[in-house]
Amino acid sequence: MIGFIKKDLAMIKSNFKILGGLIILYAIMGLVGELDVSFILPFISVMIMISTFSYDSYNKFDAYSITLPDGRKNSVKSKYGTTILLIFVISIVSIILSFIISYTNTKSIDYAQIFFTMLGNIFGTLLVLSVMYPIIYKFGIEKARIVICIIIFGIAILGGFLLQYIDLSFIAKSLDFLENYLAIILILIAIFMVLISYKISEKILLKKEY
Amino acid sequence: METVLEVKNLCKKYDNFELKNVSFKLPKGMIMGFIGENGAGKTTTLKSILGIIKSYTGEIKIFGLDSQKEDKKIKEEIGVVLDDMFFPEILTPNDINDCMQNIYKNWDTKMFNDFLKDFALPANKQIKTFSKGMRKKLEIITAISHHPKLLILDEPTSGLDPVARAEVIEIFQKQLANADCSILLSSHITADLEHIADYITFINNGDIILSKTTNELLDKYGIVKCSETEFKKIDKKDYIKYKKNKYEYEVLVENKKDFKKKYDIKVIDKITLDDLMVLMIKGEK
Repeated sequence: MIGFIKKDLAMIKSNFKILGGLIILYAIMGLVGELDVSFILPFISVMIMISTFSYDSYNKFDAYSITLPDGRKNSVKSKYGTTILLIFVISIVSIILSFIISYTNTKSIDYAQIFFTMLGNIFGTLLVLSVMYPIIYKFGIEKARIVICIIIFGIAILGGFLLQYIDLSFIAKSLDFLENYLAIILILIAIFMVLISYKISEKILLKKEY
Repeated sequence: METVLEVKNLCKKYDNFELKNVSFKLPKGMIMGFIGENGAGKTTTLKSILGIIKSYTGEIKIFGLDSQKEDKKIKEEIGVVLDDMFFPEILTPNDINDCMQNIYKNWDTKMFNDFLKDFALPANKQIKTFSKGMRKKLEIITAISHHPKLLILDEPTSGLDPVARAEVIEIFQKQLANADCSILLSSHITADLEHIADYITFINNGDIILSKTTNELLDKYGIVKCSETEFKKIDKKDYIKYKKNKYEYEVLVENKKDFKKKYDIKVIDKITLDDLMVLMIKGEK
């Protein structure tokens, strides 16, 4: 698996100028108060990971990887491994940026606010990627873009429709409970989501033919 | 002789194409040329051997092990070059070396770097800056730098100029100095195979129509060139296929010597693998 992760990291490294440029741009925009930098994490992580799938697909590395020892399993493991590694690194960069921007703009740092924003972002990023990966493995990166658009569009329509008929007041009642345990709940759900997503992706790739 | 690869009754069905009971054996230390026209089933066979295609019927044994059950163990000992499938082109040879060190137990960094120097491949440049010949050479040296016991190569010389082709063949020959290595090499550039292959296996429309030693094919087989009158005297069982040209008949025979003894026809040419492919595919019986 390490070899496959190194491959993904090498791809990310070769696009480092663009990545670094984006982070600097967002940092500057955050400093002048034009942008909430907290969205850097989900945006950049998703963009980078999707680009690794695109490069793999363009050079048919997916098929080539099967010719390597334990290629099918390692290929999936490494994508999830790289994702966690990447989110970890970008979270640290994001936290540092948030501290700097918060201190520069308000002369104070709201640690709790930054921590919860970061946790929410990590959760959101993992949610998006956990849904996307099995779809990408099933349909390939090109078709997956269309499938993901359809799913998001479908959820929006269905959600809008259901909200007219469902009474959501019970959520408000549970908010006190949620607030106390939010961090733990989010972490547990994220771990569960990633594990389920990984198992589905692995199952898809173990059967896939090229 | 020990068998490295055995394919037995391999069948795979698509909507418009089918592999029909493909069977052949590759002995240890030998090179087998796997020939056939485009779409004949060469790549499908190789993909089945490598597990890229899984839903086939039949049996594939590599080093005497079941190719699906012992996949990981087998892949440690195999080197592969597939048409247009490789590492992403934004990587450099150095990146590939870094990855492969953690993928193969026997990865030989020194051997890989020596090959890069021998073939003047820049270690720090992205693959996308390489010419087609350079890229192919990199794919081949990547396939052999973990000392594989079996090399599976799909069209490794396709699209290369004669100089690059000669260099690529030189790499195979160097690799063969390692007597343990066997090679299954699919190609439609048959001239290359005549020089290096010990065995030729010929697939046509999903069917193996011939699997013999190269010497047997090139020495025994022949093309009889004769008039229509002479052709009509030849017994059907004494030839494999024939082709009617504007002024003469070309008749593929399995044994030149026996044919000469039986018939009074003077012109029997030596066969090339190109002739063999054309007559087997386009000829009539």
